[in-house]
Amino acid sequence: MPVISLVLGFLSAAPLFFAIGVNPILAYQQVLGVFLSVDGLTESLTRGIPLMLASIGLCLPFKMNFWNIGAEGQLFMGAFGATAMVFLLPESPAFILLGSMMIMGFIFGGLWGLIPAYLKARLEVNEVLTTLMLNSVAILWVDYLVYGPWRDPEGFGFPLTPMFPLNARLPWIPGTRIHAGLLIGLICAVIVYVFLARSKWGYELKVTGESRLAAKYAGINYLRLTLLVMLISGGLAGLAGMGLVSGIVLRLRHGISPGYGYSAIIIAWLARLHPLAAIPVSILFGGLLVAGDALQIGLGLAFATALVFQALILLFVVGAEVLTRYRLVLTWERS
Amino acid sequence: MKEIVKRFPGVVANDHVDFELRAGEVHGLLGENGAGKTTLMNVLYGILRPDEGEIYIRGEKVDVGSPREAIRLGIGMVHQNFKLVEPHTVMENILLGLKEPAFILDVKDAANKILEISRRYELPIDPKARIWQLSMGERQRVEILKALYRGANILVLDEPTSVLTPPETKELFRFIAQMAGEGRSVVFITHKLDEVIAISDRVTVLRAGRNVDTLQREQLDKTRLASMMVGREVLFTLRKSAVAVGEPVLETKHVTVMGDRGFPAVKDLTLTIRGGQILGVAGIAGNGQRELTEVITGMRSIASGEVRLCGKEIGRDSISHRIEEGIAYIPEDRVGVAAPQGLTVAQDLVLRRYREKPFSNGVFLNQDEIERNAEKLIKEFNIMVSGKDAPARTLSGGNLQKMILARELSGRPKLIVAAYPTRGLDVGATEYVRSLLLKQRETGAAVLMVSEDLDEILSLSDMIAVMYGGEVVGTVPATEANVEEIGLMMGGSLRKP
Amino acid sequence: MSLLAHTVQAGTPLLFGTVGEIYAERSGVLNLGVEGMMAIGALIAFMTSFYTGNIGLAIASAMIAGALLSLIHAFLSTSMRANQIVSGLAITILGLGLSGFLGKPMIGMTAPRLTSFPIPILAEIPIIGPILFSQDVLVYTSILSALVLWFVLFKTRPGLNARSVGENPAMADSLGLNVYLIRYVCVLLGGVMAGLAGAYLSLMYTPLWIEGMTAGRGWIVIALTIFATWNPLRALLGAYLFGGVYALQFRLQAIGIATQTPQFLLMLPYITAIVGLVLISAEAVKRRIGVPAALGLPYVRGES
Repeated sequence: MPVISLVLGFLSAAPLFFAIGVNPILAYQQVLGVFLSVDGLTESLTRGIPLMLASIGLCLPFKMNFWNIGAEGQLFMGAFGATAMVFLLPESPAFILLGSMMIMGFIFGGLWGLIPAYLKARLEVNEVLTTLMLNSVAILWVDYLVYGPWRDPEGFGFPLTPMFPLNARLPWIPGTRIHAGLLIGLICAVIVYVFLARSKWGYELKVTGESRLAAKYAGINYLRLTLLVMLISGGLAGLAGMGLVSGIVLRLRHGISPGYGYSAIIIAWLARLHPLAAIPVSILFGGLLVAGDALQIGLGLAFATALVFQALILLFVVGAEVLTRYRLVLTWERS
Repeated sequence: MKEIVKRFPGVVANDHVDFELRAGEVHGLLGENGAGKTTLMNVLYGILRPDEGEIYIRGEKVDVGSPREAIRLGIGMVHQNFKLVEPHTVMENILLGLKEPAFILDVKDAANKILEISRRYELPIDPKARIWQLSMGERQRVEILKALYRGANILVLDEPTSVLTPPETKELFRFIAQMAGEGRSVVFITHKLDEVIAISDRVTVLRAGRNVDTLQREQLDKTRLASMMVGREVLFTLRKSAVAVGEPVLETKHVTVMGDRGFPAVKDLTLTIRGGQILGVAGIAGNGQRELTEVITGMRSIASGEVRLCGKEIGRDSISHRIEEGIAYIPEDRVGVAAPQGLTVAQDLVLRRYREKPFSNGVFLNQDEIERNAEKLIKEFNIMVSGKDAPARTLSGGNLQKMILARELSGRPKLIVAAYPTRGLDVGATEYVRSLLLKQRETGAAVLMVSEDLDEILSLSDMIAVMYGGEVVGTVPATEANVEEIGLMMGGSLRKP
Repeated sequence: MSLLAHTVQAGTPLLFGTVGEIYAERSGVLNLGVEGMMAIGALIAFMTSFYTGNIGLAIASAMIAGALLSLIHAFLSTSMRANQIVSGLAITILGLGLSGFLGKPMIGMTAPRLTSFPIPILAEIPIIGPILFSQDVLVYTSILSALVLWFVLFKTRPGLNARSVGENPAMADSLGLNVYLIRYVCVLLGGVMAGLAGAYLSLMYTPLWIEGMTAGRGWIVIALTIFATWNPLRALLGAYLFGGVYALQFRLQAIGIATQTPQFLLMLPYITAIVGLVLISAEAVKRRIGVPAALGLPYVRGES
């Protein structure tokens, strides 16, 4: 079922191509070209890495009904933390520098996630709104840095830091741009999966997601659980940010993430909050981003085409799920 | 209302009930919880449709399909839980849902009408005040004004004095008398004997869904009403074996607990339960029993006083600690609280115990142990379920309760707090649950059981405590229990310190 | 143009968006799709103006476009009880995507724009005249709509109904109010206003079509909704306050002052919103100027 909606959503973009005077077949050819070529696939994997990390992290808070919309901001803060390390320890050997970048990326992302967690657990402040607001604050903070103190003096005034030195770049598979972040992502997927399925906290998550009263009854400490979960979720988004600056873009700049944090929410939802399922969905979305690039280069279309695909696929899946649930409700009522 | 029948799954809430209300009369409707009083009035008000029976208003047969219909027919109801929107003003709440005024609200006519009604019945209120600013008594006035504004000449009040102070109660009675004097009728649902005797022209007593009788004013007598309300002979089967009573397990000393509405739900309550004893807490629901169980189990915080478990003060401990110390809790809300429906039976069976040794080692859960535990308990307690991995929502009511009991009792608790443990269960499940509690008693555990079923309290308890208005108004050993006395205590008319 | 006049212009799209979002949230529906609706409004307005030269038509079609997009969100979140967050984000991504996609060929082009329309006598008033009364039709509309919609929300029955639905839908339902219809209307209103905001951006505020017209204003709108405590009058205050920050930033950039401190200023709506939320969370305060109690929760009849 979900695969059908996926395909349908994908194809529903056809009339739009007509509207803009482009032959849809050409467009789909370009897109398929992405998925059917080695280059395209490796690029998809590459672009999917930050999506993977962030969406895996999101499976945790969503499972307990904590609506973390702040992955974008947590990502930015992670990117910030990692970049700070580059400025602090520019001469260190790669594994120390990269290691500290990862740690800082995780910590800063995690801290950014702890704020709304604490506010919700202690004061019942709506987490959708707080995480959303913190996104903008984080983005502006990075803007301040890249327009100001961290700006590349030889960057022609553009809001970006100098290129990262070699020891600050994640190792990559030669011939592709796939960097070590992929390995980290896969490992995290497994860790989070085990966490959810086997650990004490995974159980507490499930119970809390069912009902907070039931969780209270079970003796679960909501504050501690929320803080732990958001630390991990924010941390993973922060790692995604680190991966972006250290593996792909190789510097910190304005708009380092074009909405990956929001896409991650969609991906986590599509993956039904299952961390292992988030992997293929992330790669798919990564592929859509590459397709966007391809369409831009090949047919002069806006990169935003990728967003259109994302949205249409999502709407079709939502629609399909809603229809099946609707039918279920109808039959249930009849019985 | 003639021969009204209303059934719900598993229970007949109204069993061929006749009810007659005269113009200008104040008619008290008395009964325990579950007697069917609120159900009957909900039928009148159109919230529920009767399965059988007819309603006649001023001689004409009517079909009350919805509250809007009821209002149109001149019936108004003030519920126990006020239906007011807190951030809105008084006037906005009164006008909500009406057709007029159609657009602009701050119209002179509407405001004047409200003030006029308010003045006429001496129910002072500021139309511009916001609900959250008002006291409970004032909020009730708004509810009454709502009904009067819509032209009610039959006014039903459901347990209205439960939220009022004594002077406010007097005011309410004055108002009721005024309404009756004008030729309007008032139905006064209550479980409080003194009050119902004070203001009623007639009193109808319901018990277990049936209309026991209707008494005239002259015939009203506390004791008679109490026994009609509670209606049983003192018969309790001596199914219990004599058990040596041990040390105090639970002691609450001068415990005060705040309720949801801002005033104390439990006041300065002191009681003791010893090992091997079952303390049955009797009383109409809403007199603090729920808050009492919550403060003992940790679900609600204590305002002042002590709660001791085997001598140790635990009144401010975390819930997980209390679980560790051996407090089992079988709450009133099974589905939402005690047995999350989305989990499997095996998962629910470790809900409060997953931190313990065999089930978890601090980080990971031991799936094998959990499953083994589930299989064992399913067999031992004869829980009818397709398998340990079946979702909890597939369990029937009785089996769900068995599952909860299996979990709570398998940990060898020192204290068992059970709230309405057999409510809604069929005969077989009920017997089984009761036998389980008795068995626990035999092994030396202390049991606090809140129940609305006097039979159950009389037959299971060693000691009976009656709660009224947040206090224990009387404690009697079950062997000396006198049903009439208990009825009087439940109605607030008797105290036995 | 004076700084203050610029402030009013910068604040206008924010005002439109915020007032619309206030209505949606007051009825209990969280609309995260504002950014996308604005983007679509901007695009459709620009396209219509480009191809027909008719400004009025352009504005109208922007309103319709916003409404259509919000209809999807209303349908999914209200009738279908889907997750409001996912639904809203989907709309935002769709709106941004379509706007970028269909707008690509027009980047850098210009289209007939809104002209200023000074109000005859009022524009002569010293100081205030040039700021408030020498603006264009949409500015006047935005201020008027804020005032009118404030009145409707608090002083009329439709407004009372909308607020009640957002506070306690179960009770509203039992009193005979049509919860679904009211929510649809409020969300649609939000869409129309977002469309207007977008139209203003492309027809007046920005001289030509660029990529990324909305520049995150949708998220500011959501912050401003909280900042304004769900009150259209306070939205006026908030919108112009932040319009002022934008205008200030523009000036500083033009002069060539390093564009650093503006970021901290720009952070203010978000930080204030968070602080505001924390303050509101105190139970007592919650009742007075609180978040609509049912915000974000789908309504299912029969569920308590």
